[in-house]
Amino acid sequence: MRYVVRALGWATKIVWILMIFFAATSVYSALNVKMGFGQPQVFPSSGCMIISVPLFVNNTGLYDLSELNMTVTVTDCNKSLVSTSATFVPSIPRGSSVETAHNVSLSLEDITSKLLDYLFNDSVFNLDLSLKLNFARAIPFQVSTNMTMPWGAPLYNFSIGQISYNFLNFTHQEAIIPTSFENHSPYFDVDGTMRVEIYNDNATAPDNGELLGLSTSNLNVPSHSGYDGQVETIVDVLKVTGSGEVHFYFETSAFIIGPVVMPYG
Amino acid sequence: MVEKGQTKTFARKFVPRIIKAALLVIITYLPLYFLSAFIEPFQGFFPWYMPTTNIFAAVFMIFLVVGVFTSGTIYQYVFGVARALVTMMFFIYVLNGGIIALAVPVGGASVNVMVDLRVILAMLVLTCLLGIGKNVVQAIDFVSARVETKEL
Repeated sequence: MRYVVRALGWATKIVWILMIFFAATSVYSALNVKMGFGQPQVFPSSGCMIISVPLFVNNTGLYDLSELNMTVTVTDCNKSLVSTSATFVPSIPRGSSVETAHNVSLSLEDITSKLLDYLFNDSVFNLDLSLKLNFARAIPFQVSTNMTMPWGAPLYNFSIGQISYNFLNFTHQEAIIPTSFENHSPYFDVDGTMRVEIYNDNATAPDNGELLGLSTSNLNVPSHSGYDGQVETIVDVLKVTGSGEVHFYFETSAFIIGPVVMPYG
Repeated sequence: MVEKGQTKTFARKFVPRIIKAALLVIITYLPLYFLSAFIEPFQGFFPWYMPTTNIFAAVFMIFLVVGVFTSGTIYQYVFGVARALVTMMFFIYVLNGGIIALAVPVGGASVNVMVDLRVILAMLVLTCLLGIGKNVVQAIDFVSARVETKEL
């Protein structure tokens, strides 16, 4: 019986020592893990807007970090899912560092198909960020937060003014369409082309309107600046009616949309 | 004369126990004191920690002192088991069953932190169970030794 008591006593002491050692070294190691985020970079890429957040982890502690998983979910103000992205680092051994980038991809073509008004109206996106990792392969750790990201519409307050006509000859006139918008986007410039098609309101035509004329103009509107220009198109005098529609097609590095239909008259 | 002898016996018997109990209380209290001082700046995040620790420290020390004073009797082991049980319950309560979830305000936003300490808690519970087992075996040994002495 004495041996049993002695063995239990030693077992208790050993487990306590291991416990205290592990707890102390864990706290020490956790304090020696340096983790941070770099300056986020935003760049457009073929119909997508990519927000790239550099992430670095320097593990100078005594234990390995494993299964680092960073997830960012972007939802709009109606709680509809806009984008979800994840970055996974299987292992960060002790004494090593990892540098990676977490890319959040926002498909502007998706946005235009689902939520066209984000191109024309400012809004707010909700970002749910979650970072999980396994410390010393024994202690799962998770940090999560949510924040809001203001969304500036690249074509805010897009409008056309009164169409005026310049006389050219008896068959054709030059239609001048004043066009304006403000690029509220803090992330990208609106640079590319804007194609304009003018239709009359001829009810007998196949699409309830005949094409009067079209033209293409270049756009280069930097972030946080306005565009106030005019589109000039040669139109057939005989087809001109008092009212109709103007169709706009935008082809920029960040998004491709069209037609954006604006009535006139 | 008889009274003087009784006082001497009492003093011989209890003074070492009092000193031992006092020393054990100081030794036990010191880590708790330093842990509390370490936790102090983060107390806002662990509001349940301080009152629980004070109650635990008081109960643990009562059992410790009583255990020292009852050494040489079966109650020593009874209080030993009680002490281990209290310690186990304290760890389970303070570590919130192994899952600690906190909401830390950072620059106007709230950051939720979740730490899964179930492995640590399992080790702590195992230690306490070993302590309980040891006290039970010691109690059986004590009783059997007394029975053997009586039979002889």
